Amino acid sequence: MGKIIKLGVTLAIFCVISAGMLAYVFILTGPRIEANAKASFDGSLREVLPGAESFKSVNAPGAKSEIYEGYAGDKAVGLVVKVAPRGYSSAIVMLVGVDPELRVKGMKILSQLETPGLGTNVEKPKFQKQFIGKGVKDALEPKKDIDAITGATISSRAVCEGVKTVLKDSEQYRKAKP
Amino acid sequence: MNLWKDFNQGLIRENPVLRLMIGLCPVLAVSNNATNALGMSIAVAFVLIGSNLVVALIRKVTPDEIRIPIFIIIISTFVTICDYVMQAYTPALYQALGVFVPLIVVNCIILGRAEAFAYKNPVLNSVLDGVGMSLGFTLALVTIGVIREVLGAGSLFGITLFDERIAATIMILPPGAFITIGCIMAFLNKMENKVL
Repeated sequence: MGKIIKLGVTLAIFCVISAGMLAYVFILTGPRIEANAKASFDGSLREVLPGAESFKSVNAPGAKSEIYEGYAGDKAVGLVVKVAPRGYSSAIVMLVGVDPELRVKGMKILSQLETPGLGTNVEKPKFQKQFIGKGVKDALEPKKDIDAITGATISSRAVCEGVKTVLKDSEQYRKAKP
Repeated sequence: MNLWKDFNQGLIRENPVLRLMIGLCPVLAVSNNATNALGMSIAVAFVLIGSNLVVALIRKVTPDEIRIPIFIIIISTFVTICDYVMQAYTPALYQALGVFVPLIVVNCIILGRAEAFAYKNPVLNSVLDGVGMSLGFTLALVTIGVIREVLGAGSLFGITLFDERIAATIMILPPGAFITIGCIMAFLNKMENKVL
């Protein structure tokens, strides 16, 4: 009995020291980590909606995606929508910027774990360029309207679906807004 | 003499990846380019040297029955510190390595060296063992990373060497890791038989 208590106390002491050290490191690095995450996300928002200076998170009834309204000064210059369509082996998390006429202005893949060398090519500008200027009424069928990536039809289709969702949700947001 | 032996056995003779064949999981996963390989090596070196140091320091006060949980606490503390620091100061590298940074906790090289070496040896020897093993791991990982990146993507540390279209994509896919490791091991075995 005494032995168990001794072992338990020893282990507890190690845990407390370890927890103390981790807390200290976290206090040192925490603010920087948060700033990094915010800076990188803000940078991505600006990248897909050139011209916007600040962003505000907004809600659209019925839309599941995260929507951000971009402003240049006080003027609304478009929306950025975050979607995560299911690809071949991962969720393709992406940001799509749409201008006030609800046409795609820019897009960026934030994270994906598709097949290296095949599905990962959805990040290539050559593929993404095809979506620029597309609106909610445009058909976005891979292999017909959009050249799919060779060997990565499923990943290509996922991106098409993602862009469609973005356009639909943006329209919904516009309609709901007076 | 003994110190030197403790240091250099990790380099080739007991190279963790190519001779002991432990810790292969992160090796296969992050060696698809030289930059990731180097980043992973630095993270592993930090954790391995740190945990060897602390395990050797406390080995006299560690009860035998609970040494493994204590090792795990020490290792995971170092891994988490490493994780936070990378997230704060090298976010791009952190993103590239992804889940493999937290997974250093279960890298068998680190627990293996704590149990097999640091728990039985003085501090200085243990630190040298950690340094030697880390260098061995780095050597193996970066070699594999360089070979795979050059052949598979036509670049080195992100700098393009030749047209990507003539590169063998298979080398940056998982099979490329097995092929590369197999070839290096075969080469080392051949050399050993000749030299000894």
